Amino acid sequence: MNIIEIKELTKNYPLGSTIVHALRGIDFNIASGDFLSIVGPSGSGKTTLLNIIGCIDNASSGSVNIGGVEITKLNDKEITDIRLHKIGFIFQTFNLIPVLDVLENVEFPLLLMKNRSKSEVKKRAESLIDAVGLSEHIKHRPSELSGGQRQRVAIARALVTNPDIVLADEPTANLDSATGEQILELMKEMNRKEKTTFIFSTHDSNVIKYAGYVLKIKDGKMVN
Amino acid sequence: MQLIFKIAWRNIFRHKGRSIIIGIILFLGALLMTVGSSVISGMDRGLEKNIVNGFLGDIVIIPEKEKSDNILFKLYGESVDTITNYKDIKKQLIKEDDLKDFLPVGKNVTTVLNEEDGDPGFTMVLGVDFKEYCNFFPDNFQLVEGDIKNGEGKQAVIKQKMVENQETGIVIPLKTREDLYDQMNVWLIPEKSRLVEENLSEDAKDNRSELKIKNTAVFMGMSSTNSTSDIRLTVKGIIKYSALNTIWGHFAIMDIESYRKCLGYFGASEKLDIIDEEKKKLLGLETDSIENLFGSTDVLVSDSGNVEVADIDFSKKEVSVVPTSRNGSSTNVDLEAGVYNLVFVKLKDNINLEDGVKRLNSTLSSSKLGVRAVTWKKASGFIGSMATIIKGALFLFVAFLFFVAIIIIVNTLTMAAIERTTEIGMMRAIGARKAMVTGMFIGETSILSGLFGGIGLVVGIAIAQLIPLFNITSENDIVQLLFGGDTFHPFLSMGDILVVIFELIVVTLITVIYPIIVAINITPLDAISRD
Repeated sequence: MNIIEIKELTKNYPLGSTIVHALRGIDFNIASGDFLSIVGPSGSGKTTLLNIIGCIDNASSGSVNIGGVEITKLNDKEITDIRLHKIGFIFQTFNLIPVLDVLENVEFPLLLMKNRSKSEVKKRAESLIDAVGLSEHIKHRPSELSGGQRQRVAIARALVTNPDIVLADEPTANLDSATGEQILELMKEMNRKEKTTFIFSTHDSNVIKYAGYVLKIKDGKMVN
Repeated sequence: MQLIFKIAWRNIFRHKGRSIIIGIILFLGALLMTVGSSVISGMDRGLEKNIVNGFLGDIVIIPEKEKSDNILFKLYGESVDTITNYKDIKKQLIKEDDLKDFLPVGKNVTTVLNEEDGDPGFTMVLGVDFKEYCNFFPDNFQLVEGDIKNGEGKQAVIKQKMVENQETGIVIPLKTREDLYDQMNVWLIPEKSRLVEENLSEDAKDNRSELKIKNTAVFMGMSSTNSTSDIRLTVKGIIKYSALNTIWGHFAIMDIESYRKCLGYFGASEKLDIIDEEKKKLLGLETDSIENLFGSTDVLVSDSGNVEVADIDFSKKEVSVVPTSRNGSSTNVDLEAGVYNLVFVKLKDNINLEDGVKRLNSTLSSSKLGVRAVTWKKASGFIGSMATIIKGALFLFVAFLFFVAIIIIVNTLTMAAIERTTEIGMMRAIGARKAMVTGMFIGETSILSGLFGGIGLVVGIAIAQLIPLFNITSENDIVQLLFGGDTFHPFLSMGDILVVIFELIVVTLITVIYPIIVAINITPLDAISRD
């Protein structure tokens, strides 16, 4: 069963007086539970593709269907709800809320959903923190954590709502290679445990070996 | 909501410098507004108390012909019109349920003739029935020179001298005595008393060897509508008003009959009789002959020749004034039959001033008594308006301050929103709606307003409570007006506090609008682009 179906996806944006064609007609489907890596050199369009799948950016044309919902025709409120309920994000620079501790950061998306009791929220968040190996740091603020630890928090936060898809844009880019590998191992493990679809972009060939599938992209086009 | 306030609260501590800047501005704004409001309210309350209880009453009934409601401080030389039908007015006022008491008075300016070939002096005077005056204002002045042995300086002395002994004369405030000395080089002291050296003004002390001391003075009325006469009056006492002495101190008080003579009005000793045709024929005052003599059907005769006709309605009957007492003595006469200028009115405690004056005016108008009622604020001119004027000035000042504060806070919060693009964009990416971002900003600013503005408010209240303990007094006219009396006594009502809170809320909401617009327009893509 396809969790993501993309057809004829293009993305153009103006840059000064010229138009940049970031994506030039992308077509692919992703099955539920896949561990997919989008690879390509810098400027190839992988981040743009990931942003559109994540409902962070709009497509210029084409169709993006996530979990049976055509996202290109949704308003801001609906898009926000899709992001909250269906998608988890792991950013390159471990974007955590600096004033919240580890537990609160992980609880944050669940609290936005407003469909669970406080104790349920806490229990779910604690189980994921435990799963990413940060139980001892549950009360630490992001500034008190290392880069790898922060990215683990981001993974826990991305998974806490039980999303259909987790998107990770170059999740290891700011980590040393050993920590990067640990993070990818963890993502892989979570993919196995939670049956969540993982899509991550990278241009690091060492990272690609962890991917179940690889989607190569160059100059805004898919490369076979 | 809890999450929003948790983030907002922690962000305040995270950005301490920014929070302190905004906080200080809000603190100062609230403090200034609270203290300012307390000063204004204190002034307003003090003025009301001191004017209503010490000089005018709540309402002043003035002649309908008076163009301006401000009858207290008219330009020098401009006389107040007359009330010649006080007895009719009294009949009407007695029926009014709203009124606690009323007092008819004369009020005008007199020249004080200089018997030493120098310049004359000028003073404003009230003409009163001392007994009624002391009942109406039981403790509004103290006797500082005169026979103070028995009454310990209280009004009781004046009351005894001028009511029970039925004496005529004048009591002069310290301020008026100093003014008259400056104008005339004469130092007035009460009869049967000695010069009190310590009460001499600085100028008088410097000129002590050549000081001309008198206990009588000749007063001559100033009127733009009729002739006046001069009258020698004995100084019965030197007084000090209990409050706003430097302002009320311009008003000397003389007995009403002396006042009437001075101003050329009918006195109580001059009875107004309506003479029917038969009597007129007997007296040889037929219309034709009068017309031949004066070109008018109105017949007016007074022993003194001082006749005020302006307010007497002669349209229906022909009237004549026949003196009943040739010597003009006020002994055993009905004082209320004579001419007045104003009637001071006190309302019952539970009556709203504006409602009371409205109802009274309705009655006076329907009764066609030729008078109208004005509030003490309007009657006292700029003094009554002082609180409003200063309140307006303070409001403008605070509005300007808040305007500057708003600009600074808006700028600071907008910068904060831009600085937090990554954080806000990330929140939006993981599912935070615009409402949450809005709530976060409102929360932060509300906490700052509540905390620092609240501290400003509390400190302001404390200052307003502490100031009276220092018993700050002033002899200066303008400062006394600002104080609303002799003593600086700020006052804060619950209404004032609520106004400050309301203003803080308004400032909070205004300051947060633009930063919110900036913040909610931050997209997750902006956050990623910034990365």
